[in-house]
Amino acid sequence: MTNKRFVSIVLGIMCFALTVCICIQVKTVKQYSTSIGQNYDQNNLRAEVLRYKEKYENMLKEIEQADNQLNEKIEEATNQNTDLEDAKNEIQEGNKLIGTAEVTGAGAIITLADSNLDASKVLDPSKLVVHDLDVFYVINELKNAGAEAISVNEQRIVPTTAIECGGNIVTVNGEKIGSPFVIKAIGLPENLANLQRTGGYLQAMKDAGLTADFKKSNHITIPKYTGIINYKYAQSVED
Amino acid sequence: MVLIAIIIGCLLGALIGMNAPTISYTYSSYLAIAIIAALDSVFGGIASVINKKFDMKIFISGFFGNAILAILLTILGEKLNVDIYLAAIVVFVWRMFMNLGTIRRYYVEKWTDKVKQIHEQKLDTKQNTTKDIQEKEV
Repeated sequence: MTNKRFVSIVLGIMCFALTVCICIQVKTVKQYSTSIGQNYDQNNLRAEVLRYKEKYENMLKEIEQADNQLNEKIEEATNQNTDLEDAKNEIQEGNKLIGTAEVTGAGAIITLADSNLDASKVLDPSKLVVHDLDVFYVINELKNAGAEAISVNEQRIVPTTAIECGGNIVTVNGEKIGSPFVIKAIGLPENLANLQRTGGYLQAMKDAGLTADFKKSNHITIPKYTGIINYKYAQSVED
Repeated sequence: MVLIAIIIGCLLGALIGMNAPTISYTYSSYLAIAIIAALDSVFGGIASVINKKFDMKIFISGFFGNAILAILLTILGEKLNVDIYLAAIVVFVWRMFMNLGTIRRYYVEKWTDKVKQIHEQKLDTKQNTTKDIQEKEV
């Protein structure tokens, strides 16, 4: 009897470990894949892409850690030396200006999205999607209205940012983004609200059947630019 | 007894597994092959309990050994660019079906024996009653 009890306890523990593993596996697979491809090659390719994505995310985390370490070092250095306090403030100010620091404040959120109309029933389906130029014009209007920091789908707009057309998507900072485009801007909300004016670009987009929502917000956080700004050819002019 | 332990283990495992964090996608293929290996071991364990040949040492070493060996083979296959894990899956699933067959045969035989017994009992009572009736008539 004791032997049988022992056997059943061990079997129970094994089943327990097994179901825990199965549940974790099911959750992991569910998290990463929306649909299972029919093709063996397709599955392999997708797994490869996911693996690279993961590597990329890990690298980003490492960069973040390095940034934190740098900040700590700067902090340490300035604690001991009051003369360096100014230099530190200058670095922070510079980071804020060129977009390599996260910023927060009041502003507006603009959402641009493709039209809901059926593309097969329209003469020119290309009029139903948000183009790179639409994003570009809206950003330009935001800058004109005094926006201090702008991001499109979490991609910070910096001096070296290019907005390109990439087929049915748009590339910002080399990252592919798609509809809906969430453009966040920090600035005086009342000024930014001028984008809604009659005859403005947002109005024109709405008239064309696209979605162009404008929303004021008191708390907007705009992420920092994750790339590297490296000036190779521009050199400082000596006075 | 064994069945109750298995059910409790599965329920507890499902409960905890639902709340456990997910693992990174790179390792999920290794975990999958380990799950297949462990599943095979559990079915093998149940089958050996039924056959009354259950050995705890063999069972536990098989459970962990098979899983680890399967993972190592998968890694080796990735390094050599050969899909060794396919062979592992084939072997484990084949063994799983064999073990399931053993379990199924045991229970089906048990069931048929029971049905036969009930049938025989019924026949006995019928014969008895017919005898009684005959005796009465006589």
